[in-house]
Order: sequence, then C-alpha cells, then structure tokens
Amino acid sequence: MRLVWTIKYALAAGIMALPTAAFAEAVKISYLTHWAPETVALLEEAATEYAKTNPDVAVTVRAVPFGDLLTTLRSQGGGADGATIAGIYDLWLPELARDKLVAPAPETVATEVKGAWPAGVVSAASVGGTLYGIPNEIDVYALNYNKALFAEAGISGPPKTWDEFKDAAAKLTKKDAGQQGFGMINSWAAGVVHPFSSLLVSNGGDLVTDGKPMLDSKAAGETFQLYEDLIKAGSSDPAMATADANTTGPFLDNFVSGKTGMIIMANWWESALKTGMGEKFSNIATAPIPVGPSGDKPRSISYSWMTVVNAGAGEAEQKAAWDFLAWLNGAKSGPNGSSAMANILMSMGILPSRTSDVDAFKDKLGSEFLSGYVSVLADAKPFPVVLGGQEFSESLQQTIEALQYGKVSAKDAQTNAQTDAVSILERAAK
Amino acid sequence: MTTSYRGSVWVMLTPAVALIGVFILLPMALTIWLSLQDWSTQTGFQTARFIGLDNFLEIFGTTSIGRDFKGAFVNTAIYTALSVILILPLSVGLGLLVYQRNVAGGNFLRAVLFSTYMVPMIAVALVWSKLYSPSEGPFNQMLGWIGLGGQPWLSSPGTALISIVFLNVWQQVGYFTVLVIAGLTQIPRSLYEAAWIDGAEPHQQFYAITLPLLRRTLLFSAVIAVINAVQVFEPVALITQGGPVGSTNVLTYHIRRVGIERAQGGLGSAMAVTLMLSLIIVIFALFAFARRKDEE
Repeated sequence: MRLVWTIKYALAAGIMALPTAAFAEAVKISYLTHWAPETVALLEEAATEYAKTNPDVAVTVRAVPFGDLLTTLRSQGGGADGATIAGIYDLWLPELARDKLVAPAPETVATEVKGAWPAGVVSAASVGGTLYGIPNEIDVYALNYNKALFAEAGISGPPKTWDEFKDAAAKLTKKDAGQQGFGMINSWAAGVVHPFSSLLVSNGGDLVTDGKPMLDSKAAGETFQLYEDLIKAGSSDPAMATADANTTGPFLDNFVSGKTGMIIMANWWESALKTGMGEKFSNIATAPIPVGPSGDKPRSISYSWMTVVNAGAGEAEQKAAWDFLAWLNGAKSGPNGSSAMANILMSMGILPSRTSDVDAFKDKLGSEFLSGYVSVLADAKPFPVVLGGQEFSESLQQTIEALQYGKVSAKDAQTNAQTDAVSILERAAK
Repeated sequence: MTTSYRGSVWVMLTPAVALIGVFILLPMALTIWLSLQDWSTQTGFQTARFIGLDNFLEIFGTTSIGRDFKGAFVNTAIYTALSVILILPLSVGLGLLVYQRNVAGGNFLRAVLFSTYMVPMIAVALVWSKLYSPSEGPFNQMLGWIGLGGQPWLSSPGTALISIVFLNVWQQVGYFTVLVIAGLTQIPRSLYEAAWIDGAEPHQQFYAITLPLLRRTLLFSAVIAVINAVQVFEPVALITQGGPVGSTNVLTYHIRRVGIERAQGGLGSAMAVTLMLSLIIVIFALFAFARRKDEE
C-alpha cells in the first residue's frame, strides 16, 4: 500500500515539475568556433557557469578547423538550423552582413560595446555604422626570433631595419644543417599575406586605401623585392614554409625545432610554441617589424575576431544568444573585473580587446613574449576590411607564393598583384 | 503491345524515373541554368540575373578567376591521368599475383590490399601528411638510409600534386585489384591449357589471353578510376588547402571555394558544368576507344 502511495506522490511531483523542466530547456543555442579542444572545454565551462543563472538557455559548442569555418558559415550559418553564434574573422564581416547571414546587435549591446572597446576595434565589427558583432580577440604581427640562434650567429639583438634584417637572415642561415634565417609561410592565406603586409606597412605602404588597392606603390615594390632578395640569397626556404588546414605544419615545426631563426607571426601562436618547445620557449623573443627604406617607424598589421549571431535563428534564440554573448564578454563573468572570454583568450596567449580586460590582465600581458606584441599594437594598421577581402587575400597569397618559389620576379609579382586586386575589388563593389 | 501491358510498364518505371528526375536530372538542369546567371549562393533563386555566357567567358578569361580555374582544371587533368596510369597496371599486376591459386596466403593478401580502401580519408590524410614531413617524415628518413637526399613532397609546387596522387593510388589500388581478380575468374582455364599445349610462354599468354579478356573489366575500372580521381577533394582540403602556389588546387576544391566561400554561385556553377562536360567527353572517349578495340 505504501508503495502505491509512493508511486502516486512521485508521479504527482513529476507532473508538477514538467513545466519547469520544459522551461529549463526552452531555448537551445549553439556556438560555432575553430578553437582547439582544450579551448572549447573552457568555453563549455563558461556556458555551464552561465546556465547556473540562466537555466532556461542551453548552450552547445561546435568546433571545425579554421580552414572549414567560413564554408560552414556559408553553407549552414544562414538557416534556422545553422549555429546561433559564430566566431568570425573581421575580414568576412562585410560579405556576411551584405548577404544577411548575421544579425545587427541590439541597441543595448551596441551601446555597451561602443563604450567598452577601442573605437578601431568597434569599427572592424561594424558595417556602414551598424554593429554586427561583439569583438573579442585582437591579433597583431611582430618579429619572433630565436635568441639561442642569434647568440650562436653572433648577432647582438633583433634587426631594426631591412638591411639589418637581411644581414641577420644571412648569418642565421646554415644550409647544411637545414637551417633558414627567416621563415616565410605558404598554403595559408593569412599566414602568407599578413607577414608580407606587416613588412609593407613598416615600409610606409598600404594594401588598400579608400577601397583602392595600393600594391603598385614604391613601398610595395620594395617589399616584393625584399622577398625576392631573401629567397635568392637562400636566407628563406619556401619548402620549410608549408602550413596545413589547422594552421600548423612544417613552418611551425621548423621554428619550434630551432631550424628557423626569425619569423613574422601573430601573438595567438604563443600556446602552440609553448606546447612544441617546452622549456626552450624561453629562447623566443618578440621585436617590432624591421623598418623598410621608405618607412618612418615600425608598424605591423592587426586584425580582430568577433562573435556574431545568426540572422536566420528564431527570435528567442537570437535574444538568448545576445544575452549569453553580453555576459561572456562582460566585465563580471571572469575574475578581477575581467570577462570569461578574456580568460579563454589569454589561455591561448591571445590579446583581449575589451579595455577593462587589458587592464585586468596587465601583468600577464607584460610577459617577455606578449609585451613585444602589446608594444606594437599602438602603431598597428588594421588589415583592410572590404567587400571581396577574402578573394583579394587569396589572390595576393597566390602571387606571393609564386614569388617565394621563384616562379615570378618581384616586378611581375607586383604587377600581377595590383592587376588582380583592382579586378577583384571592383567586381566585389558592384 | 496491349494497353494493360503499356500501363504496367509505366507503373513499373515511374518510381525510378521520378527519383532520377528529382535527384539527378533536376539538379543538373538547375546547375546549367545557374551557370548562365549572376547569382550569390546566399540569396534565393529569384535574385539570379541572366547574363548569358559571361560566366564561361570569365572562367576562361585572363583575370585571376580565369587563371585560377584553368590552373585547377589542368591540376585535375594531371591528377586524373596519373592516377589512372598508375592504378590500372598496378591493379593488374597485384591481381595476377594474388590470383595465383598455388600461392599461400592469397586471401589474406587480398584482405590487406582491400583494407586501404576502407580506411577513412581523414585518417589517411593525417598519417600521410606526417609521412611526407620534409624534416621528420619517415619517407625522407628512408631515402636518407639509401643515400638519397630528402624530397620536399607536399612543400614544393613541383612535387605536391604527385604526392597526393601517390596517396590516392595507395588507397584505391586494393579496390581495383579486387575488380581485376573478379575479371580473372571469368577467364576459362581451358584457354590457358590450350595455349600451354601450343607452347605459349607466360608472357605470351598474358598478352594473348589475359589482357584481351580483361578488357571489359579494365574499361569499367578506368571509368570508375577517372570519376573517383575527378572527384578528389578530401586530401586537398585536409592536407594542402590547394597549395603551394595553387599546385594542388583541384576543381572540386576550387568550385567549393568560389561557390560557397565566396558565394559566387553563377561562376561556381559554370565551373561545375565545364567539369561535367569534360568528364562526359572523357568517358565517351574511353568507351569509343574500347569499342574500336572490340571491332579490331
């Protein structure tokens, strides 16, 4: 008899709990990223933390390799079944906004972002004055060099000018030992174009000004020539420069194993270097990009990432997504006035872009490796965010790779790059 | 033919014809229609604008679009030709070897050969990208043991495509060997016995009996090998991303980049139609070649 009543009470309790349980799973949102599994785990932890105060929202995380991120967004992102939230590279934003794949940020979110992030970063997350995403990471390029190899070659410090750079690259090259002075990158658009662009802006040039390609400038010609000189001198070996779909591969292996003396890379690869080098990571230092003959001071390229919300998602999902993102990137979700997002980013050595996060991580950003990046941020130029930017970037990649492998001269590379860029940007602007 | 018979023919054929129409003919017709339009894959078909043959002129033109497409087309043709040239003789050789009835472990060898075909491409790509590593890869270490210098493999535009071909041959040859073995079982033993009585040497038996009677199997193998090779995508997407210098940028990968990443649906469709037409021409040529041999 007692058993019967126990079952009855249990059933009654279950029926009463049903609406609550259904409400707890009312809104399901998904987050698409290209992060590695250990970073995805941190994001999932943050989502669990958020769920404690927001039990009506369930966040799931899905990761794809960087090489597949844009394709996944393009093929699945715009529909109701696509990811609700996606982390995207700022270069992709103009076309995703034009194609109405991403939703404009609500007024409250836009006001918060405009007040809490530097204006340049906000502008990279906006199209035509409308904010589409909450910025999170900012990446900047600098010269990484191996102090042990420098000491072996009798070089006292990092090169400050292109002449010193070429000289150091030649001294660091030991062909018999399979060692190159300067490591270029190929088979990965950003890995090819960003270091080249950093040298270009440090030579006083620009990729694009007012929507027009500037690769026919004297500064650009000198940058193409620098690449040709380094290749012809044997100071850089393109066969050591390959990258794979996960933005790792021989270019990373060669730097990690001490076969590359210098390389131009962004701050985010700190975790890859630490993993690959162990204690030898202390041999790696960061310096500003050497200044070219037409440049006035060290400059480099920066770019940012942001999280956007799927315009095809339902109203409730969009609302929940913006609320989650506002919390994730807000100043109260992490310790000491930092955001949970900043903590995830700093685990990878990535610079957060929210002003309060930069203050909260002042000590960590002062490390020998990262401080070199922080110091060049002020003079960094944002990589141009224009319609057709991805195609422009891939086309320039092909030209620079052809130059790396000696298939074209510096002069022809410059002519081809400018001709292609004009045609691509004009077509995209139509 | 009676009316009821005609009616039952229609009833029997309609499901298959409808399925083929909806899932094969309709998408093909849609792709051909889209190839004549200016259309973004991110917008509805109603936004497509008719531009005639402009997309085709563009992909065969002199701009970066044309240059990249023509490069991808040539890469695909080279990849396909090399794959077929290597796979067919190897599968015949291995098939003859495994088919020998008095060789111990023949069945085990067949299983081993076929197993490469069952390994998922993601695993193959991961392993082979490490095997090809210029600094730490086993291939270069083995070349070093016999006094040969290391090769750049995937790191050079001169060797990257052939490296992907080797990977493809390794994975596919087992499947084609099984096809050859099936073909060999169809050849009557009496023909070999008669040839042996007439004093024919093994190599004469091969050229006079085995190869001619394997012709239909080899034609089928060639057609499948061509289709498989033209559809290559995974190793390029997973390992080389089309590089270096576009040397492994094959058409399927390029069409995905243009049509999906850049959302240029009209251009992507024009490229797909060109690929389809090229494939049809090659397959027809293979059949025509085989028919001429049959008539001889």
